Amino acid sequence: MFNKKGTVFFLLLLSASFCFAQDKFFTKTGKVNFFSKASMEDIEARNKTVTAVLDSKTGAVQFAIQMKGFEFEKQLMQQHFNENYVESDKYPRAEFKGVITNNNEINYGHEGSYPTKVTGKMTLHGVTRKIETTGSVKVDGENLKIESVFNIQLTDYKIKIPAVVKEKVSNNIRITVDTKLEKLKA
Amino acid sequence: MKKKISFVVILVLAVGALILYKLYHETTPDIVDSKPERVTDVSTLINDFHSDSMAARKKYLDRVVEVTGIVKSIDTSGAIVLGNREDAASVVCGLDRRHMKDYEQVKVGSSAVIQGRCTGFEIAEEMLGINLGTTIQLSFAGVKQKNK
Repeated sequence: MFNKKGTVFFLLLLSASFCFAQDKFFTKTGKVNFFSKASMEDIEARNKTVTAVLDSKTGAVQFAIQMKGFEFEKQLMQQHFNENYVESDKYPRAEFKGVITNNNEINYGHEGSYPTKVTGKMTLHGVTRKIETTGSVKVDGENLKIESVFNIQLTDYKIKIPAVVKEKVSNNIRITVDTKLEKLKA
Repeated sequence: MKKKISFVVILVLAVGALILYKLYHETTPDIVDSKPERVTDVSTLINDFHSDSMAARKKYLDRVVEVTGIVKSIDTSGAIVLGNREDAASVVCGLDRRHMKDYEQVKVGSSAVIQGRCTGFEIAEEMLGINLGTTIQLSFAGVKQKNK
């Protein structure tokens, strides 16, 4: 069916796509927490269905988060978060697109924990802003663990705090990323 | 008469404060064993979103959904993924804080019934050149019954 040249080309293409896929790691069950220390009460929520992809060759990294997937302990907080703060019906998804700027210092073939510097853009509540943070990539066999903690200001993302609770809700939110990724099989 | 009015006002305020206190402290409900608003299986759920995402959004989003499917993978830190291992499309179930150990009741490759609230979806998602397929997300989820 194939001539010799065609077969060689096909095999090269196949091996190229295999190598390409081998550089990438992903998860659909990533974890992202947010925490707000407030005078009235600390507010904390966790999302366990975060999609994340990392390209170990380039250091490119992306996260996608469905805002309604944040789980609160208190019903009223969850309702306020979705309806009044992040407006989840209008802006259902948050995302981060960035790059590990010191990617060449990570040996993805060698187990260990590597400190990372990450820069990129985060879109939340329809507003995109630059983020620079640090974290770590832990290489564990064929899996990776990404960890990072950084702060954002609600006002930067045009998230309004109702006047009645303005003194009681912090504008400063701590985001914690704690996500395991598996190697994409070709 | 004044005393009576004062008593009624205090009573109304006390009842109001009690209701507010209760509302404020009310925890998110455990919906895993509640009556589902939709009962379906993984392939039907994914096909519904593929064929008409707007209609599927109306049908499933924000609703308590019971889904039956094959366990594709387990994340012991709080998630179970249902779907066909050969296909990128998945139903991703984030386990409710009261059901964090439910993954112990299921096995990869076996059938499971999971119930949670449908909190999002992505149709044929692609990130960094990787086709991640369609993803339907259930949160506040748990295993409804032992794997068959």
